[in-house]
Amino acid sequence: MSSEQIPSAAPSLSRLIQELQKLPGIGPKSAQRLAYYLIRLPDDDAYALADAITAVKQQIVLCAECQNLTDDSPCSICSDSRRDQDVVCVVEDPLDVLALERTRCFRGLYHVLHGVISPLNGIGPEQLKLKELYARLSGKQVQELVIATNATLEGEATAMYIRRQLAGSELKITHLARGLPVGGALEYTDELTLSRAFQGRQEL
Amino acid sequence: MAPPRAYQCEAVTLKKFPLGEADLLVTLYTRERGKVRALARGARRSNSKLMGHFEPLTQVKLSLAQGRDLDHVVQAQVVSGFALLKGDLGAIAKGLYVAELVDGFGSESNPNQPLYRLVIEALHAIEAAPESDLPLRFFELHLLQVSGLMPELYRCVECRQTLTPGRHRFSPNLGGALCLDCNPTDARLRPLSLRTLKVLRLLHRTPIAELPALSMDAALARELKALLSTTIQYWLDKEIRSNSFLEHVHHVAGTEV
Ligand SMILES: [Zn+2]
Ligand SMILES: [Zn+2]
Repeated sequence: MSSEQIPSAAPSLSRLIQELQKLPGIGPKSAQRLAYYLIRLPDDDAYALADAITAVKQQIVLCAECQNLTDDSPCSICSDSRRDQDVVCVVEDPLDVLALERTRCFRGLYHVLHGVISPLNGIGPEQLKLKELYARLSGKQVQELVIATNATLEGEATAMYIRRQLAGSELKITHLARGLPVGGALEYTDELTLSRAFQGRQEL
Repeated sequence: MAPPRAYQCEAVTLKKFPLGEADLLVTLYTRERGKVRALARGARRSNSKLMGHFEPLTQVKLSLAQGRDLDHVVQAQVVSGFALLKGDLGAIAKGLYVAELVDGFGSESNPNQPLYRLVIEALHAIEAAPESDLPLRFFELHLLQVSGLMPELYRCVECRQTLTPGRHRFSPNLGGALCLDCNPTDARLRPLSLRTLKVLRLLHRTPIAELPALSMDAALARELKALLSTTIQYWLDKEIRSNSFLEHVHHVAGTEV
């Protein structure tokens, strides 16, 4: 499976192929294709890519407040005084913040867990940014916690776990509604989604 | 080119892994073929007909097409989503422990219908009594049985004498109970009280749905659990990853009440 299968590749090239192969979803064939693509790139473009990788590794830090990736801590969302400081939305990872920001319907703050409880992969609550969350919530400011983990078994388990850890606090804890996807047909919708959609039905 | 060979089966999803932009690589335990790893193309897209059908601990009817490396899911229909189980954190932890052990003990292209039935029964039992640990103990003992590793509970594994009522010992690696007189050198001996032996025999001969609500004190529950999990661990011979979350959830629940 390794690039050792291409004996003719120059050492610097096989090193690149090997590094590319470590990326998610990249197999040996795709790694080779990408490597040859990169070699044919104009020098400026290739160095710009290398620079971007170096810069991101040197500059990106976690926001001390929300744990999102940022160049400066606190991040632009946490330091924006126009945002609602009473509501914190918990998400699994930074891409979820981008997805929710695109909807423009949430004006509160975020908290990024950097993962989800995944017992089969040996990932437990202690590996998530939960201590940081509890610390934020111990101040009086936050009134509502919106749990926006994915609607997967692991996302739901993480939501249940957080709710249980915060049982007894005066915080209002909400959860994104589960239901039919836009464009989804009842016929092909799984039983669990359908029953959750039914429970969450709304008056027209 | 000949059309891909298709087949129907019933299965429970043990785990899933995202692949590429929108695909899922799923590990299924099927009634017909044992463990099967299959590709569900596009199953992570919200408009996919397969969306939501492959969450772990979901029982599905499937039609699969044989591929060169991996079989592909053509169609899927949920038989049981175990919605109640998935609404309880402790039950999820138990269900995932069951899934991990089936993944470990089940083998590919080696159908084992009793194992398939056991998983489904165990998930239903956990769902029916999420607070009880008995469904897990039942599952562990019967997992050993359907895997051909049933521990001996009636005779000494060394001298073959029928066990008399009293205290005995248990050896995971020699395959069951030992009388107090036998002392083989390579046995990893554990104490086996008469109470624990009786519970093991009861678990062995009672169908899961008919298990009485046993009230076990903490010492008995601990001995039973330790004995079964060391035996499972001995045969599996690798770390059971879901164990730490199971213990964690248990611990938190225990301190709450
Ligand atoms: Zn921030
Ligand atoms: Zn003996």
